Amino acid sequence: MKRREFLARAGAGALALSPLGAGGFPRWTSAPWLLIPMDDAQSDHLKAYGLAFRMLERGGRAEWFLNYRGGSFLLPADPATTRDAALAGISTEPLDDGALVRIRGEIAGGNMDAVPLEKAPKVAVYAPPNAAPWDDAVTMALNYAGIKFEKIWDPEVVGQRLRTFDWLHLHHEDFTGQYSKFFLNYAGAPWLVDMVNRNRAMAKSLGFATVPAEKRAVAVAIAQFVERGGFLFAMCTATETLDLALAADGVDIAASYADGTPMQPDATARMRWEHALAFQNAQLELSPTVPVYSDIDGHQVNSIERRQPLGSFTLFNFSAKIDPVATMLVQNHRQVIPDFYGLTTSFTRHTLKPSVTVLADEPGAPWVKYIHGERGQGTWTFFGGHDPEDPQHQIGDAPTDLSLHPHSPGYRLILNNVLFPAAKKKELKT
Amino acid sequence: MSRLRVTALSLLLLSAAGSALAQQSGIPRAFELERRGEYAGAAAAYRTLLAAQPADLAALLGLERVLLPLNQSAAILPQVRAALAADATNPGIYGVALRAWAAADQPDSIRATAERWAAAAPGDETPYREWGAAALTRRDRPGALEAFRVGRERLGRPEALAPELAQLAGADGDFVMAAREWLATIRRLPAYHAGAVNALAQAPEPLRDDVLEVISDDRTFPARRLEAELLAGWGRPADGLDRLEDALPGDKPQALSALRGFLGQLRSAQRQDALRTKGRTLELIADRSSDAAAARARVEAAQAYSAAGDRNAAARLLAEVGDSPTRPGDLPPGAASTLIAVLAGEGKLDEASRRLDELGPGLDAGERAELRRTLVRGYVKAGELDRAQSVLGADSTVEGLALHGWLRLYRGDVAGALAAFKLAGPYAGDRAEATRRTSLLALLQPIEADTVPELGRAMLALEQGDTARATGALERIGGTLSPAKGGAEASLLAARLAASAGDTTRAERLYRVAAVPEAPATAPAAELALGELLLARQRTDDGMAQLEHLILTYPRSVLVPQARRLLDQARGAVPRT
Repeated sequence: MKRREFLARAGAGALALSPLGAGGFPRWTSAPWLLIPMDDAQSDHLKAYGLAFRMLERGGRAEWFLNYRGGSFLLPADPATTRDAALAGISTEPLDDGALVRIRGEIAGGNMDAVPLEKAPKVAVYAPPNAAPWDDAVTMALNYAGIKFEKIWDPEVVGQRLRTFDWLHLHHEDFTGQYSKFFLNYAGAPWLVDMVNRNRAMAKSLGFATVPAEKRAVAVAIAQFVERGGFLFAMCTATETLDLALAADGVDIAASYADGTPMQPDATARMRWEHALAFQNAQLELSPTVPVYSDIDGHQVNSIERRQPLGSFTLFNFSAKIDPVATMLVQNHRQVIPDFYGLTTSFTRHTLKPSVTVLADEPGAPWVKYIHGERGQGTWTFFGGHDPEDPQHQIGDAPTDLSLHPHSPGYRLILNNVLFPAAKKKELKT
Repeated sequence: MSRLRVTALSLLLLSAAGSALAQQSGIPRAFELERRGEYAGAAAAYRTLLAAQPADLAALLGLERVLLPLNQSAAILPQVRAALAADATNPGIYGVALRAWAAADQPDSIRATAERWAAAAPGDETPYREWGAAALTRRDRPGALEAFRVGRERLGRPEALAPELAQLAGADGDFVMAAREWLATIRRLPAYHAGAVNALAQAPEPLRDDVLEVISDDRTFPARRLEAELLAGWGRPADGLDRLEDALPGDKPQALSALRGFLGQLRSAQRQDALRTKGRTLELIADRSSDAAAARARVEAAQAYSAAGDRNAAARLLAEVGDSPTRPGDLPPGAASTLIAVLAGEGKLDEASRRLDELGPGLDAGERAELRRTLVRGYVKAGELDRAQSVLGADSTVEGLALHGWLRLYRGDVAGALAAFKLAGPYAGDRAEATRRTSLLALLQPIEADTVPELGRAMLALEQGDTARATGALERIGGTLSPAKGGAEASLLAARLAASAGDTTRAERLYRVAAVPEAPATAPAAELALGELLLARQRTDDGMAQLEHLILTYPRSVLVPQARRLLDQARGAVPRT
């Protein structure tokens, strides 16, 4: 479901699941509902999202109880859902109609809300065909939760296939076409050689003279996907480089190893930030040997002189009834979460556009961690860092095994993003 | 004694102790305060002493000690200056001075003090060594390197301060330079050999050939020892021993010392080539040892060869021990028990039994009992249960009771085995043995019959390594007993044996026989094993369905988390481990 449809159903919240409502769920057991608690009573927070998602895929309907017990879900107690929960080891609490009425009363009286979930979004993950399946936190989260997705890359994006998806995830792609600026520091490394060859071949096959030119075209297509009503979620360096590529309209910001010509010395002044989604007025890193793009990233993990230590970030509280989108994105059983590095770890406050909604920041620090905004009829969400459960991830590190982190609050934020396009809610100010 | 009197007496004792301290003065009083942990008071006492005698080294060292826990190490500087003014030749005072300047983070003063000390002690390495050490205290590796290089140059000896430079080079990852410096060190100071081996053994694999090349260019015996031990540590023990053997000196003590050092590198050898090299080394040691020590070395060599699977070499050495003019009773206790254990391991049970009778009086009771149990296990493997029972006798230790249990089981006496295992409890033997017994109890406890001779034969066949016979027998038992009365457990064990023997079709069939609702204590384990088997055979859908069945049918089973993990792996939800 595109955001357009999402908005068109304004007011549909009134049709929230009701034990008495027409089209309600068949009552399979004496308790017709399953509450999926998302507070500390939950035995596997991450798989719980998959449970809700699969129920929607089967054509069922659910509700997301924002701010109620960590952002719980209400699902029908049908045999398929009950079986699915048992297999996945997800904690459920059977609810009868009386108990549900009491919960609804509690929700109505507090900073909580019940959001109907109607249709599983069609999910795409942007990744090159040779991407290691375990090297992307979102891919790992989707696999672990059991949420289906398709992998797409440049040919599909340039070929307008994005129109067939509701939700798109970008991870650590470098949309400036500079191979994560590892070209000089990792020269000769087999994975880098493969990455360069693959990208050059792809640019050529799509009719672009250089990889930076091709990546910018991909970035523009992604921005258009958002404008048309798509939901975009990006992490790590895809956040920063997507905006840099969009703003570099007619500006050469790529090092000579990428496109044969050096970066324009006055590139910073020539950037057209009106094209970017989230950032403005950033200073570009001019050195091709420093794997840093700009001062958008607050932590500068790959700059020895500028690298900042990790702290923790705090999720903001929003009004569930007035700001349901932001509230959905921060549903969690923890409010303070340990930070984690990525090529882009955080976003400096002074480079954020005024329209950006900050979802989480590090109090007192000049950076924020988790941001959200709108473009056209769609929305985007950026989350800094690479892997919430591997704070200092290095190239070649062992994959994170999410069965060891079933309560990961950082991964929950990712999965909030996957599920929120399924929500049906009247538009309210964010 | 009333509480009042106890209190009064305590006060009196305290008062006496306090008054004893009050009566002390000078260095004893300072020491006593330091011993009590009253560091501030001790520092004041040491300072009082130093005010009267600035060059009193004991007081100066005491002050240095107590200022450390007070986190005031640099506060000793006034006393250090006064001490050096009073005695500019005392190396102890210079040492304190260098450490004090390091604590004060004053590199220029460290250097100046070291230069002054070196001028007072020409030809001595100590000032430069301490200068470098003070720099290292400040994590100043370039400063330390400068200290050692200046020292070597001034002293005019190319090997001066070699160990310090070697350690520094190693810490910087320059293992080739470290090898050169360690060679210079051990040529002059052989006692540094172990340090050199330990330090160079840390060299990363890509640098090892370069390190060996540097060492092989040196033709001295210390270099060969170093080369041999490094080769042993880096997985080439036979090459190492070849190098060492070729260079062994005629001097027996020196050769023995080298061989024992080399043997130390093979202490935890597991690989066959390393065990064989260990045997060869022990033979070389035996050739250079006196009679008793030689016999012990040969027994140990036999043990190493036996563990390496070289039965001929083991037998040859055991024969040499047997033919030795030394009476077996003269063997040291450790060697005697090794000899018997090797003989038993080689299947020479009667010979081992005879040796145990001969050597028994020289062994302590625990060692003797353990050897007897080794013999019992040997006779069981040979199928001689009566002989095994006779050797075990009335052993009532927990290990002995466990063995009684096994012997009864092999005779089919289920009730007797259960009783003996219960008496033995969970502590007999090592962890693996205890786990094995516990698993067996799961099989035995549901069986209602007191005797099941077929089960005894099956377990004996298993102990003797005849998996096929054991599997067949267990399968028959599984078909005879009802599932809830031990039949399912017998089928499960048969299935596991079939799977381990690679007969997956039979294993699958037997797992299904065991996975029946009538045996709810056994079925989850059988279903899990069946799921694993199906997944391993690439029958992913069948395996996943089996695991799902387990999770849904036995949701309270302790095996459910394991089943979920396997299911996640099969779905690609988590990485395989």
